[in-house]
Amino acid sequence: MFSEDTILLLYEITDVIIAGLSMGSVYALMAVGMTLVYGVTKAFNFAYGDFFNMGGYFAWILIFGLGFQFMGYLGVLIIVMPLMFAVGYALEKLMIAPLRKREDWENKVMMLTLGLALFLTSLYTVVFGVRMKSLPPIWEGTLEIGQLVFAYQDIMIFVLSLGGIGLLGWMLNNTRIGMAVQAVAQNPVGAKIVGIPKERIFASTFAISTVMVGFGGILLSQKYFINPMSGGTIMIKAWVVTAFGGMGSIRGGLYAAFIIGMMEALVGWVFGLSYGIIALFILLIATLVFRPQGLMGKGG
Amino acid sequence: MPVIWVMIMLSVRNLNAYYGESHVLRDVAVSVKQGEVVVMLGPNGHGKSTLLKSICGLVDQITGRINYKEEPITGMATENIVNLGLIYIAENRELFPHMTVLENLKLGAYAKNARPHEKGNLEWVFDLFPRLVERRKQLASTMSGGEARMLAVARGLMSNADFLCIDEPSLGLQPSLRHEIFSIIKQISKEGKTVLLVEQNIPQITELADRIYVMEEGQISFEGDKDEALGNEHLREIFLGM
Repeated sequence: MFSEDTILLLYEITDVIIAGLSMGSVYALMAVGMTLVYGVTKAFNFAYGDFFNMGGYFAWILIFGLGFQFMGYLGVLIIVMPLMFAVGYALEKLMIAPLRKREDWENKVMMLTLGLALFLTSLYTVVFGVRMKSLPPIWEGTLEIGQLVFAYQDIMIFVLSLGGIGLLGWMLNNTRIGMAVQAVAQNPVGAKIVGIPKERIFASTFAISTVMVGFGGILLSQKYFINPMSGGTIMIKAWVVTAFGGMGSIRGGLYAAFIIGMMEALVGWVFGLSYGIIALFILLIATLVFRPQGLMGKGG
Repeated sequence: MPVIWVMIMLSVRNLNAYYGESHVLRDVAVSVKQGEVVVMLGPNGHGKSTLLKSICGLVDQITGRINYKEEPITGMATENIVNLGLIYIAENRELFPHMTVLENLKLGAYAKNARPHEKGNLEWVFDLFPRLVERRKQLASTMSGGEARMLAVARGLMSNADFLCIDEPSLGLQPSLRHEIFSIIKQISKEGKTVLLVEQNIPQITELADRIYVMEEGQISFEGDKDEALGNEHLREIFLGM
């Protein structure tokens, strides 16, 4: 039958696929949050990656700083998710909403959020130090099927990310506020005419995206580490996924996230982990040259 | 003759509106009584739409006084104005293109005061526009011009408004559809709604209108009831096309 080497290779490939799927699912979570904000407000949030850290750090404070143990991770999520929502909502209302009344506000929002990103990075450095932080796995142990070994952690990351996306999708299509978010994205003037409070929808959308990326932060900091700088890398990844999928297209973002997650895992396996980011940029350049509207974007 | 007290639904006084540097409305005064159909005629680009948009909170730079049911609404946010029962029905429809007819209609009932009436109003607009019933699962972007116009009016009615500001409902429609939409507006008015309608130059409009205003260069140049309008040579020639 197969030689021992071939079987070993198969195991390795399975590992790569699992890593790609779990990474891809978290990227999907983050890209969907990013594309949602872009689709609704048409403005770009450069501090997006730093909300990834924020989620991770909030969880870290709860678990290690305060010794919080109530209901394990579920308790952590119950506290951190509303907190992320509140932070996102408040930031939108205080910093972005006032800009929206001015001319050329999309560019001003970009500059402002870029400044916010720098501020948050420095804030994290002062508060948490530059050393890496990691969270305990959400579910320890492994699932063994024959010779194949799956970490429960990977499975949980995959399930929770897809669950988060599914919940968002359900909300968008089945709740009044979700329909209002879609209405603003599809026709802001029409939304205003029927009496949808656009300002509140903008703030809520921003807050929801903050929750999604913060959730991603909690999930990925169990497997990797966070430091004050990791927001930058996450920002780049979320941006490449969004651009590759097509700005404003949620489905495009989903496909793109898994393709990029897989690509990263594969490149990491063949060439080494540090080549992942190079592959990412090659993909970005190729996208911009050959298909600037992205996989499923609507026009250039 | 008995004196019948009729409420002034809408009163606009000294309204000025600006788009940046350009002064679009100049000291406009309009009033609409409960149950009336008032038609605002005038050439294109002379401020008729801006008047409707100003009333509904869709123009940022306005001065003057707009009262609705004796309450000042000048400068109020659109969502609050809609909640008071005033709705703008846009000339370019402003539908949600990637949503179905039914979803568009349901979003029409977004205002807090419209929600309890959503079911009843849905039945009502399906009665008024039977064509929308067949198309309720169809995406708004795939509808023909006439159907999209019907949907825009129907979505406006879903807001449970008492006062409808309808912007050129006949624009780009063939005569038969034009006739259909006017007769529907007539019916809506019979059911107790008050209508302020903007049109360019439509012969049939006198059948619908209780009173007529003409707006030229951002000012009201004529005001009168149907007979006065028909007796006015200039008006007959230019705006009523007779």
